[in-house]
Parts: sequence; C-alpha cells; structure tokens
Amino acid sequence: MAARALNHPRPARVRRSAGHPVEVNGEAVESLRESWLVEDRWWTAAPLRRRYWELVGERGRNLVVFHDLTGGGDAPGGWFVQSP
Amino acid sequence: MVVCVYLPRFELVVAAGGPQALAGRALALAPLISSEQRVGEVSGAAEACGVAAGMALGEALARCPDLVLVSPDPVRVAESWEAVVRSLESVGAAVEAERPGLAYFETDGLRGIHGSDDGAIAAARQALGRPARIGGGPTRFCALAGAQAVRSRRPLILDGPPSQEARQWLAARPVGLLGYRAETEALLETLGRLGVRTLGELAGLGRTVLADRFGAAGVIAHRLACGEDSRLRVRRIEEQLQETLSVGDASSGSALRRVLDVLVGRLLARPERRGRTLRAVTLSARLLTGGGWRERVVFRQALCDPERIGLALSLRLQLLPAPASALRLTVERFGPPANEQSALLDQARAARAARLREAIAQVRAVAGQDAALRAVCVDPDSRVPERRVMLAPIPE
Repeated sequence: MAARALNHPRPARVRRSAGHPVEVNGEAVESLRESWLVEDRWWTAAPLRRRYWELVGERGRNLVVFHDLTGGGDAPGGWFVQSP
Repeated sequence: MVVCVYLPRFELVVAAGGPQALAGRALALAPLISSEQRVGEVSGAAEACGVAAGMALGEALARCPDLVLVSPDPVRVAESWEAVVRSLESVGAAVEAERPGLAYFETDGLRGIHGSDDGAIAAARQALGRPARIGGGPTRFCALAGAQAVRSRRPLILDGPPSQEARQWLAARPVGLLGYRAETEALLETLGRLGVRTLGELAGLGRTVLADRFGAAGVIAHRLACGEDSRLRVRRIEEQLQETLSVGDASSGSALRRVLDVLVGRLLARPERRGRTLRAVTLSARLLTGGGWRERVVFRQALCDPERIGLALSLRLQLLPAPASALRLTVERFGPPANEQSALLDQARAARAARLREAIAQVRAVAGQDAALRAVCVDPDSRVPERRVMLAPIPE
C-alpha cells in the first residue's frame, strides 16, 4: 500500500452568524479562541486557502474547524472539522 | 511553643532592591506576564492611597496615579528566602517555610541549646540579621496572629494552652488573618459581605454552621479562630545542588534548549549527586527585560536519564515570558540511587524488537495487511495539519 495522510479534514455542519461559526455539528459554540488564515501552494493548479477557527463548544471541548475558501467569492468549498 | 517569623512585604523589598527603596514611595509588584492582572505586595505609601495587594491593576492605578510598578523577581526572592530559612536552621530550628516572608519553628527542642524560649527567639533574631516581626504561641495560627499584631522589636508571646488565654486574645483579632492560610483564603470575601469582622464573631457562629456554609474550609476556619491548628510541616534539610549558565545569544528557541541540555548534563555529572536520582528540580532564568522567572518541576518518577529530564524541562522552557540571559537548574529533592549499571549485551532491545515483529505479523494475519502501519513525521512544521504525519507500511 502507499503512504496516506493522517488527520484528514472531516466535513462538518456549521451554522454561522456575523461571519463566524456559532454552532458546529449541532453543538453551540461557547467562545471563539483564535482564528487564522492558511494559504499554500498558490503557485500550483491546486491552491489551498482556509480560514481556521479554534472554538470552545458548550460541552467544554476544544474544536478546530475551517472554511475552505478555494472556491473564492461568496460560494467557497465548505466547512470541515480537523485536529489542530 | 511555636514561633512565627514574619518579614512584611518580603517579595516587594527584594524586587525593589532593599527596604530603603520603599521609603515614602508608592510601589507595587507588577502582575506576572502570564497571570491575572492584579498587583502583588504594595508599599505603605501605596496602602495609604487605598491600594491593596491583590487589587486589579486598573483599579490600583486609578486610585494611585503615581503608583510605580516593580517587576517581580521570583528568582531573587527564592534565593533571599532560602538564605533567611537557612539562617533560622543554623540555630538548630526545624523550619516550616509557608511562603516567602513567613516561617515557623518550634522552640521545644531548642531549649537545651539556647536555655529558654526567649533565648531561642533571641538567637533566631540574631541569625536573621534584619528586622522581623516575631510572635509566639501554643499553635501556628496563634503565633501568626502575634507576629501580625506586634509592631516593635520585642516579640509578642501568648502563653498557655490554646483554649484559654490565647483564644480570648484571638477573639479580638481581625478575620483577615485567615488570608494567610491557603485553605481559608477564599472565605474572606464572603465573610466580609456577611459582616463577620473578628475571629471571635467567626468562632461564635459555631462549627456546624460554618461547615454547612463553607464545607471543609469552614471547619478549618473555626478551628483556627478557636486557637487550634495542625502540627508544623517542617522541611527536610537537603544539600543544595545547582548549575547556572549564561546563555549569551541563545536566549530563546532551540538554542536555549541546547543550553538546557548542557545544564542537565553538568548537574548529573556533579560528584555530590552520588548516583542519586532527581525527584524535583527548579528551573529558573534571569530575563533580558529585567526580573526573573521560576518554575518548579516534579517528575512523575525519580530520574537520572538526561534525555527524559531534558524532555520534561523543555516543555516548561516554553513558558518563558521573555528571552533569558541566564538559566539555572537547582535540585530540590533527590530520589533513591539509581541502578546505572547496564547489561554487557543489550539483549532487551533485540528481544523487544522480536516480540514487536511477531505481534505485527499476528495482527496482519487477523486483520489484513493494512492493520499495522507506522506513523512517519514528514513535515512536522507544516501549517496544513494533514501534511505533518503520514501512515506508511511497516517493512516485513
């Protein structure tokens, strides 16, 4: 078998308000801890552009979700959850 | 009899450079970078302006606009406090060092050396070589109340069993004395709101009522207000082993980690260690921005392996609030001597590898070829999480 990546992003159901997530997979967001932008491989045909959010859910656990912005404009790729 | 030695504003005096620096100036210890933004100990002039220790920084500056914040220096405080405790131990006392500026010892075992309780206190005062408030009493808390009440160079001694004279005297003392005990510190705000001002009023509420309202802390508070207390927890006297290195340009990051490795190597190579393992150490640093930083590390098990010690300490090194100018490693407690004799042939490693191969073969036989894989770090610093670690087949 070939090598495969660990920690693949998993699709997530995210509801947002005022531009930031307020609910992830049915769990309300208690607080927003951090947000950062990752841009990579913009020089290739498959560029990567993600807006990450580190959140604390109502159950007290840390969540990291990102919004795939590679589609550009207001209709980008979607939301994913991933370990930091 | 228990004797309390109280050095007021010890941390502020050390950080400010001496007691003369506090004279007539409104000073306060600045909050530590990574902690809550509240001022530490404050000078008398700052207290006169309404500033109190533990007050929020914004409120303190609003009450006293001329307030000067002094950078805390936990490294120098620890050094100075260690010198104070050792001077008390030099007269034969077994000391409980509660916090910097507050220590206790019992005089029962010192009468044979110094003649009487007064002789032991005089010897302690002479060994200290600095002004200190000293109180004596049948228990630790009574002695603390005495040291807090005394203003002169003469010690305040409360004689008799705790149930009589000492209890009557304690009844008029402020309830704020409970703030000197970690177990009862949190009760002060609530007691203030309930209008309980003195220890006598607190004792009058009754133990069951306090236990009902505050739990275990309430019971402890009632015992203290009645003059009862637990026995002293004296510290073990151990030889001090420490190594210091000036870090030069390697003030942060991986270069500082290498300095730490050198420090650990030097400490373990000291002949005074006599093969003993390390149970607890203190990692401290002088900062380029002024002041110091100090972190106590207790290992899960006593260690003498430099790699494991370095790994445990490097995690704490990341907490450094600013680049360091010097790094120090001090042994606080030793563990039992380690058996450092290794086997002539490293058979354990070969046996373990064979067991691992056999286990992988069995897992693959049951669950298929992909059941056992190896995680390989390919780009650990990548900003894209899924590119950091790959799963790769384990060779047969």
